Formats: sequence, C-alpha cells, structure tokens
Amino acid sequence: MPQYYIKKEDFLKFLDNLSREYSVYMPTLCEGRKDDYIYSQCLKPGDFIFNPYRTVEPIKSFLSPLKEKVSNYFSDKTQEGQDKKIAIVGLKNCDIQSLKIQDYVFLQGVCEDEIYAKRRKDTLLISSDCTAFKDVCHCIGLGIMPYPEELFDLNMSPLNDSFIIDVGSKTGEGLIEKNNELFKEATNAQLTAMRLKRESVVEQLSKHLAAKKLAPKEALQKSIASSHGSDIWQNEMLTCVECGACNFICPDCHCFLLADDKKDDKNTRVRLWDSCLYANYARVAGGANPLKLRAQRLRNRFEKKFDFFPTNLKIFGCTGCGRCIEACPAKIDIREVLKKAYEYSKSNKS
Amino acid sequence: MHKNIYEPQEATIENIITESPTIKTFVLRPSNGFSFQTGQFVDITIPGIGEAPFTPSSDPNVKDYLEVTIMNAGRITSIIHNTKTGDKVGLRGPYGKGYPLDQFKGQELVIVGGGVGLAPLRSLILALFFNIDDYSKVVIRYGAKTPEDVIYKDAIPQWANRHNRINLVTTVDRGNDTWKGNVGLVTTILNDLPVDIKKAKAIVCGPPIMMKFVTFKLLELGFGHSQIYLSMEKNMSCGLGKCGHCRLGPYYACKDGPVFTYDKISQLHDIWD
Repeated sequence: MPQYYIKKEDFLKFLDNLSREYSVYMPTLCEGRKDDYIYSQCLKPGDFIFNPYRTVEPIKSFLSPLKEKVSNYFSDKTQEGQDKKIAIVGLKNCDIQSLKIQDYVFLQGVCEDEIYAKRRKDTLLISSDCTAFKDVCHCIGLGIMPYPEELFDLNMSPLNDSFIIDVGSKTGEGLIEKNNELFKEATNAQLTAMRLKRESVVEQLSKHLAAKKLAPKEALQKSIASSHGSDIWQNEMLTCVECGACNFICPDCHCFLLADDKKDDKNTRVRLWDSCLYANYARVAGGANPLKLRAQRLRNRFEKKFDFFPTNLKIFGCTGCGRCIEACPAKIDIREVLKKAYEYSKSNKS
Repeated sequence: MHKNIYEPQEATIENIITESPTIKTFVLRPSNGFSFQTGQFVDITIPGIGEAPFTPSSDPNVKDYLEVTIMNAGRITSIIHNTKTGDKVGLRGPYGKGYPLDQFKGQELVIVGGGVGLAPLRSLILALFFNIDDYSKVVIRYGAKTPEDVIYKDAIPQWANRHNRINLVTTVDRGNDTWKGNVGLVTTILNDLPVDIKKAKAIVCGPPIMMKFVTFKLLELGFGHSQIYLSMEKNMSCGLGKCGHCRLGPYYACKDGPVFTYDKISQLHDIWD
C-alpha cells in the first residue's frame, strides 16, 4: 500500500474530521507524572500529543473491558443503544501484537465472542512508532519491533513536524481517500528518513537490552518447559502477593470469569478479568485445586505465556511491554525470571 | 438473531430422583431443544446466581429431555440440590469432545466408574445399548464408597441382565450388614477382565485419585496408553477454550477434552491434582 505524508497541523484537522464518526481516544500525560501516558476521550484535536512509548493501559481495556455485561438472560431483549465507533490513536507495537492473542481467544477457536467481534470491528487502530522506550521495555528481546508493520488501520511515524502514514487496511485507505486534501504521497527521501529513525530507536533499545543480558528468545520455551521442577517458583513465590496486577495490566492475559447477578428480576451475566494468581483460579467443586500453591500459580503464568502459546499459536504470550514489571509491588521482573529459567535449563541439561 | 455464546437457554426441571444421600438426578426439559454427544458436558445456570459444568447422564439418543446426575459438592450444586420440580434453570452447551463411539465400534470395552463418576458413563452405557450389536463386549466395573453411595441402584442390575455381551461387577469400599457384593476399592475388581487386553479399550471416570490408581492398574494389566480414555476434571467455565481456567498443558480440558486418551496427557505435570 502507498505511504503518505501529513503535516502535524493537517493531522489535527484529520483527527477533527475523525471525531465526527468516532469517539477518539488519545494519549494524555498522567496527572502528576511526567513519564506516563493514559488514554482520554473527547479531547480537542489541538490537545493531541505524540506518546513516545506505550500508554499505561493495555489495548484489551478497550476491546474486552475489565467488566462487561454479556447477557440478560430469560428476559425480553430491549434494544440496547448502539455504541459509537471508537478510534484509538498512538497504539504501540506491543499492544498491536497482543491482538494476535486476543483475536485468537475471542474470534477464533470453537466460536467467536460476538461482543468482542463487534467492538473489534468498530475500533479504528491508529498506531505509531516508538521514538523512545521505558526502562522496562523489552519487545526486541521477544522478536517484536518497536514499530508496527501489520494489524493496524493507519500507522504514524513522526518526522520533524509531520508524520509518515502507513496504511494497513481498507478502512484506513478509505479514511485517506475521504481526507485526501490533507495527505500527500511520501517522497523517497522522507521514507528513508523514517527508516533511519526507526533503526536508531532499534539500535538504542538493543543496546539497553544487551546490558540486561536477556535470555535468548529461541531458548525461552524450552527453558520454561524444563524448569517445572526448579526452585525458581518457590523463590519467586516468597515475594508475590497474589494481587493480579501483572495479569490485569498485561495486554496478552485474557482469562475471565463469568459472574451472574439479579437486579429488578433481571438476570445478568458479566464477563470480568480474572487472575491466575488468585487462589481459587483453578479450584473445582468439592475443593480440589490443581493450582493450590502460589508457586504453582506463578509457574502457570509463565508456562501459559512461554509454553502454551508457542505450542498452540507459534508466538509468545508476552509482547515485551514491561507493564507487569512496573505494576508488580513485589518487583518480580519477568525478564529476570526468564533468565533464571534459562540458567536453570542450561545447568540441568542431561 | 446472533448467537450469544454466554447466554443460557431456559430449561424446566421435570423430575428429581434421589440417588444417594449426596447425589440426585435432575431431569431437564430444554425450552428450545437440545442435543449432545455422549461425554460432552453442559453448563447449568441457577438464574442470577451462576453456573457450573456437568456431563449429562442420559441417553444422547433421547432428544426432548436430558438427565444430569449431580453430587452436592459446592456452591452451585448445593443450590441445585435445593431446587424443586417445575423450577427453571439455564442450560448452555454442549461443549467439548464426546466419547469417540466410532473408535469403539467392534471393540471390547471396559468401563470403569467411581462414585458419581458413573454419571457420564451411564450416558455412554445407554448410548452403547442403543446399538449394542456394534460392540463386541461391554465390561462394566463400578465402585462406590458404601452401599448407600451406589447410584442408579435400580438400573445397574437391569444393565447386567440386558445382553450376554455385558459383564458387570460392582464393589464398595466399605460394606454393611445387607451388602452381599464385593468389598474393596474398584482396582480390586479389575483382575481377570474377560477381554483381550491387547485390543480392548478402557474408559474411566471418577474422582482424580481413583482415576490415577485405575490407570496404573490398567497399565499393569497390559493396557497401552492410547487404550485408556480418561475424563479430566478441571475448572471448566466458559466451555469454549476462552476463559483460560481449565488449561491442561497445551490443551484446554473444555474444548480438547474433557475426555483424553492417556498417551495425550501422560507426559504432562500434575494431571491427577
């Protein structure tokens, strides 16, 4: 698909046009914190800021929110209000790549979750390149680049006071056509400049990660699979407080509970995020619990991400966003745990 | 209209049969029709309270109602035990892979049940009876804790006499004054099975500890890993491989099971927990 060039002031006009059809969510700086971005709705296009790295909240909070009504059963269906389509601006590749897991869970398999499917269809994804990274970022260590190349509608690569726009879908193409007075075709010089900028970020992040001495991605599945009997889980368990923050903030974690309620004679069922660190996560009727111990649950989290998903989907259940590292009150660092598993598997080779 | 995967259909409780002090069979009539394959499971909803998974115990060839045999063991099951005839419940499913009847055709089958684990097996047994000429032998071994805990007390003697291809033995862990049958764990009635063990297929359902020791016993008797079919109990919630709770190594029990041959899972960790 062709690539376009748009000046920042024209991009603001584009956002303004977009807001007639979509509820536009844009990154804003967290109050009182200079280095974290969260999404806000209904800003004026003039309030747009370019986030150099990912936001605090993962993309799943838009597509399968924390708590969502999924059924009013045994009652007359009243026509529910149509949600306005939403547009999310500034998504980074760690969130974009997490769609592979979320789509696999909610769109594929036995059957699709029609609520997720509808929202996914009605959500416009405007991603952007990372121009900087946080200390916890480690996407490259998992084979994910800090710029999106697929799964978006439009992608923005900042260049001086303008953006290079990649088109990733028919919807994206349609928006360019609709606003064609704002976009120009990008020149070769601009595209070269964009590539150099990307390479420079990759180089800096690679340097940053080299210092961290990450476990090599090729060895991760084997490392986790073979460290089932190691004492890593027992040791990490000592500081884990089972808060579930790592699960809730993770763009790939997808586990949910179905919970029922009754109000005014109406039965409702909600789908809400669950955490595999919670004691009753795997408990069955009668009290048996295959994940009785916290160490087992912690291990389960890693086995799901680095063994189950590579086996079933050929990708990791981790995109290297580093959110869990920031969220963990016990300072459990996913990169360090993977390193320990890697070291263990190396020293226990039979 | 779209199909909402989380929405149960309404079903009426038509009859409740007390099987044992802790186990009842509920006869459900779904409002919109329902069909399942033997071994598949369903989710039963107590309106406004929640749902839990159960494997129907009735003949899958019967289409206008289904029976579910339930032990009072937890939050939802205790509420189900307090329902009355005429009450409405919700029904979702069926989910998972049923027993592979096509693989059982022409075979000698050994069905081993423990406690309320006979419930899914009853559905299988009735499905086999429906086309009994398709199977060369049906050997049933059932163990319960005490004579009181034996379920389907009236039906079991009838099964035994139904056909000369059927061979049925029961046992209880602890007998009483009136019990004239075997006493001992179900593993004690697995010797001298009247089948060619090299070719037979064993289907096991019961509490995890029972399945563990029955599996070991069957292996000792000469059954191969792929000849043993196990019903794995996990926390199956959504039934569709989405909610994540019932992961078993690279599988989800709800969509890849709940019935697994032992060769698929023998290398996985902690399967009996």
